[in-house]
Amino acid sequence: MQVDNVPRTPKPRKEINEKTARVKKQTKRTLIYLILSVFAIVNAYPIVWMILNSFKSGQDFALNPFGLPTEWVWTNYVEAWFTANINTYFFNSVFVGGVAVVLTVFFGALASYFLARFRFKGQKLLYSFFILGLLVPIHATLVPMFILMQNIGLLDTRLALILPYIAFNLSITIFLLTSFMKSFPKEIEESAIMDGAGVYKIFWSIILPMTRPVLATAIIINFINNWNEFSFALVLINDDMLRTLPLGLANFAGQHSTNYTAQMAALTIVLVPTILFYLFMEKQIVEGMTQGAVKG
Amino acid sequence: MHLLKSRWKIALGVIPALLVYCIFSIIPIFISFYYSFMSWNGFSPMEYVGLANFKAIINDSVFWLSVRNNLIVVAASIFGQIPIALVLALLLNRKIKGAKFFRTIAFLPVVISTVVISLTWRMIYNVEQGLLNNLLDNLGLSALAQNWLGNPDYAMYAIAAVIIWQFVGLYFIIFLSALQTVPNEILEAAELDGATEWQKIRYVTLPSIWGVIIIAVILCISGSLKTFDLIYVMTGGGPANATEVMATYMYTETFQGLRYGYGSAISVLIFVFSITIIVLANLLLKKRGRKRA
Repeated sequence: MQVDNVPRTPKPRKEINEKTARVKKQTKRTLIYLILSVFAIVNAYPIVWMILNSFKSGQDFALNPFGLPTEWVWTNYVEAWFTANINTYFFNSVFVGGVAVVLTVFFGALASYFLARFRFKGQKLLYSFFILGLLVPIHATLVPMFILMQNIGLLDTRLALILPYIAFNLSITIFLLTSFMKSFPKEIEESAIMDGAGVYKIFWSIILPMTRPVLATAIIINFINNWNEFSFALVLINDDMLRTLPLGLANFAGQHSTNYTAQMAALTIVLVPTILFYLFMEKQIVEGMTQGAVKG
Repeated sequence: MHLLKSRWKIALGVIPALLVYCIFSIIPIFISFYYSFMSWNGFSPMEYVGLANFKAIINDSVFWLSVRNNLIVVAASIFGQIPIALVLALLLNRKIKGAKFFRTIAFLPVVISTVVISLTWRMIYNVEQGLLNNLLDNLGLSALAQNWLGNPDYAMYAIAAVIIWQFVGLYFIIFLSALQTVPNEILEAAELDGATEWQKIRYVTLPSIWGVIIIAVILCISGSLKTFDLIYVMTGGGPANATEVMATYMYTETFQGLRYGYGSAISVLIFVFSITIIVLANLLLKKRGRKRA
């Protein structure tokens, strides 16, 4: 009996220790969740607030700025869509952004192929020269860009945006693609050469398909950059019919500065596709943006 | 790899990218330098004035105000974004439920267009109907309510807060991925030696991601010098130039004041400041690297 008792006495103490440890761990965990939740709310609530209020009448918004709409006013959206010209701006953004992305990625992939898979004089220098573009502050080029576009007669055309968008996205595109293409084994091209394939045939039918995962990242990053771009559009576009979304939106908000709910509806129309796109492509967007950021 | 035989083919492949890149990104910088020595309203013939634009800038109090405001953005970014992002990344760098959710929410503002963010926050700061003042009222703190963007004493700080909000997620993600590269064995060894959580962070985790922290600081600085859209849309540099930064001042002087030469001189200074800081930061990085090696 007594033998039995001896080991039993320390056991409860150990249980207590374990219990305090567990409680401590639990509190720590709760605290972590608390901090993270506060952060998540601060991060997301402004956006949720804006979206919810886009459904309210002006009066409802004034009296009840926090809760759900007492009545869901969809006409804000109708008003925003038509008076804000959103369909025109939307088309312009898609067109300018899309054309710029296709050309940037095509030119960028071609240049990256030669920079990554060939050895020639000045190759390293050329690569560094392209990467240097990550350091060029866009705003230091606005004045000469305006004059340049005026002199070549492109001011107030879609091409006036497409060209600088290509130029300013080439650096990150070439950076992403070159480092990926460099990682392919040397033997990749050999059998193709044996079969008599030319340099461009190899690029098109072997290298490009193999680069697909990073091409996707480059396309997404390019498109987000172009979609959100404001400064060039502000300086180079004057015609209301050619404005891109950010520019059109800023202009609309300036004209309807007291019609908050319509402003919010317009913002929501622009915001929701971005959020959906982000949620679908999260991994590629985050990886591409952070890689770009770390290099820039 | 391939041989020089295909030299013209290489040229053919590289030249399109090189041309667009040079004409629309590199050459404009040099044209800016050229214009900065001119007096010119965009229509009349240019007149060479030497360093007159730069001399005028030295005596331009609004320009120095804009530099000061740029520095406020730099400080807010370094002392706001980096510590918050670091703490959050350290908290989330463990196996916890919902980690992916917090990551997704954190990065969201980074993807949203700055114009959308500016307009949303302009409404949040709105005097009567804005979220912030209403929140303060509801908390019984009405005395703290302000005309956030209309008061020259507060406007710049209100904007700096938005900048912190917008980019914390970026640094958070950068730090989080850096933390995942810290070898577990070292942390476990430290734990066996009886290191507390804080000691592990102080002596193991932070030193091993120090390089990434420095890169983040450089990014903060160069990003802060680029601030434009947010301020242009939220306040246009007002009230009374209280939120002017170099880029907004350059824009107003050039395109509204029609002083192309003067605006170009400011552009040159933006370029010079950016490059100087990046070069300095790089030197610092290399020095640290050598010390460690």
